[in-house]
Amino acid sequence: MRIEQHPILEFRRGKKVKFIFDGKEYEGYEGETIAAALHAAGIRVMRESPVLHRPRGLFCAIGNCSSCLMTVNGEPNVRICTEKLREGMVVNSQKGKGVLYEKRS
Amino acid sequence: MLPVDGIPTPEDIMAKMPPPERLARGPVVMVECFQQIPCDPCTHACPRQAILPMKDINEIPRVDYEKCNGCGQCISVCPGLALFVVDLTYSEEEALVKLPYEFLPLPAEGQVVAGLNRAGEEVCPARVVKVVATEKMDKTAVIWLAVPKNMAMEVRHLKVKPRGTTVICRCEDVTLEEIEHLIKVEGVRTLEEIKRLKRCGMGPCQGRTCLPLIAREIYRLCGTEPDSLAWPTYRPPVIPLKLGVLAGGGSDDAQA
Amino acid sequence: MKREVRFAEIAVVGGGPAGLCAALEAARAGARVVLLDRQDHLGGQLIKQTHRFFGSKSHRASQRGFKIAEALTREVASHPAVEVHTGATVFGFYEDGVLGVEQKGRVFYLKPARVIVATGAAERTLAFPNNDLPGIYGAGAVQTLVNVYGILPGRRVLMVGAGNIGVIVSYQLLQAGMEVAAIVEAAPVIGAYWVHAAKVRRAGVPIYTSHTIKEAYGKREVEGAVIWQLDGDGKPIPGTEKDLAVDTICLSVGLSPLIELLAQAGCRLAYVPELGGHVPLRDENLQTTVPGVYVAGDAAGVEEASAAMMEGALAGLHAAYSLGYGQQDYEARRAAIREQLEALRSGPVGEKIRRGLSKAIIQL
Repeated sequence: MRIEQHPILEFRRGKKVKFIFDGKEYEGYEGETIAAALHAAGIRVMRESPVLHRPRGLFCAIGNCSSCLMTVNGEPNVRICTEKLREGMVVNSQKGKGVLYEKRS
Repeated sequence: MLPVDGIPTPEDIMAKMPPPERLARGPVVMVECFQQIPCDPCTHACPRQAILPMKDINEIPRVDYEKCNGCGQCISVCPGLALFVVDLTYSEEEALVKLPYEFLPLPAEGQVVAGLNRAGEEVCPARVVKVVATEKMDKTAVIWLAVPKNMAMEVRHLKVKPRGTTVICRCEDVTLEEIEHLIKVEGVRTLEEIKRLKRCGMGPCQGRTCLPLIAREIYRLCGTEPDSLAWPTYRPPVIPLKLGVLAGGGSDDAQA
Repeated sequence: MKREVRFAEIAVVGGGPAGLCAALEAARAGARVVLLDRQDHLGGQLIKQTHRFFGSKSHRASQRGFKIAEALTREVASHPAVEVHTGATVFGFYEDGVLGVEQKGRVFYLKPARVIVATGAAERTLAFPNNDLPGIYGAGAVQTLVNVYGILPGRRVLMVGAGNIGVIVSYQLLQAGMEVAAIVEAAPVIGAYWVHAAKVRRAGVPIYTSHTIKEAYGKREVEGAVIWQLDGDGKPIPGTEKDLAVDTICLSVGLSPLIELLAQAGCRLAYVPELGGHVPLRDENLQTTVPGVYVAGDAAGVEEASAAMMEGALAGLHAAYSLGYGQQDYEARRAAIREQLEALRSGPVGEKIRRGLSKAIIQL
């Protein structure tokens, strides 16, 4: 959910960009992180944990905890809490530890 | 108790009360800062130096109540939002409380909001007398609230009540709460007054929907029977008409 | 493999309040500084602090944190002696004092004569059933989402922890339009400054001391939380459970200093709970047991941002001085910063910090 009005802050958002999450198209803003754009769309589950197969989301949001690893443009284990959103990005929920070169296999 | 639930005790409050004789003379600051923390902006904020300078920034602020004139310039400067101004001399029945407010929407002047006590409980309706929010105050607005006199030492926050969902007048979107407030708080007793204050009866339906409902509320709250209530004057046109139609005196089609 | 090693006078790792002030102070004294930060902006966690800061009026008190970040960032950017690298992560502290830096997918190495490590701290979590469910965040994480990106993670939140961060973030979530169901605190008393507690309380948020979270529940995301009361020994009392329908849980249960680089540098560490965990031993000038390596801010011990700024300034001042800069007004400048820092720590709320520092500050 995006905040439209805030008593202290004014949010200056960048250019609108489109990205794909798990095969569906979403919109976000340039300058925000992938995590922010997903949360704005109400998506909080980012991956499935490697052993217990539990849903996992964001925890620290500043690149410390590695809870939010996702596959971005085919590359697994991207910390989407610090990775900035760009036009046309393909973001996928990550299963387990992720697979390199998933596209080729 | 503050350290356990965030609510100061009556003793805590007593200790922060300006002297009664000073309170009796008009607006004065009340510093609800109960703990020694490293903080001193208030001592620099007063144009009359009524908040005394500190030797050590961990001191609890001390006030020279004779110097303080209750202007409230210190309120928005306090990082703890712990400064208030109280004026017990505001009117016969009401006291004025000036408090810091950092939420949206800001209330409008004249609006009635809920007065909250230090535990966040609604204790009385409060009328917004003034909203001060200058650039220099950097988004910490100071709201002047008129409250019943016995609530001057209770009300320390406010809640802008969402407008209710029980609609009385569809044309002007007036809710039951607003009508109740006019009757209970403002002492309104007639349909004519409500019409002039809220425009009920002046919209496209000309009072067809709202007037019976309002009459019922007046009966419920004051006991005035509808038959002894003066009904507003019905004036033409009784249905919405285009001005052009009226002016031309012809049919709608002819004007088009 | 050929590796390029760049030389520098002073490297500052981390561009938060401590690092910014360290860089500015050293540059003012005349030293040349390389400031590195892994984010693409400076300011560290100041950028999400929307409340007015405490402290002395003479030192930015009553200003909002994000405005302090803007001001310091402008000063650093306009100072010709400070070279700023954002998006630059220092990933290792190697022998001979060489820093490994990754920037935009490329690696370079830096050998500074002095290093000031101002890496900050990481949020701690808590062990309870389902504590990994999506919808459970560090309080700082939610602050980032809400105050930096303008995005709400949910509608109704339970805050765990009534220290300054827990209570301040609760207030900020109210301002942003979320409902705060409750703040729970395991200790019998509120850790936050009481004025902060009073302002969330009068806005209608209940604060339950001697309470903690028993469990979170929900299928794929948080749907609720159960809290319960703790007895005098901190043990939960069965039968006191309360079920709260919340879609978000914030954990504000402390921070741990990020001291990995200092450990790699060989600095002697000590476990000081009052400062948040392992911290480097250091002298009054923030120099660690490895000559030329300094620490400042939360990496030196978790404390308020205003203290971090002073520590950064002290470290920057001394690092520059030790390289021969700013000799003439060193003593006066040092005395002024120390006086402000001591004022911040000297009151009753600084007791814990003072106790911690007494274990961490040594004579070198």
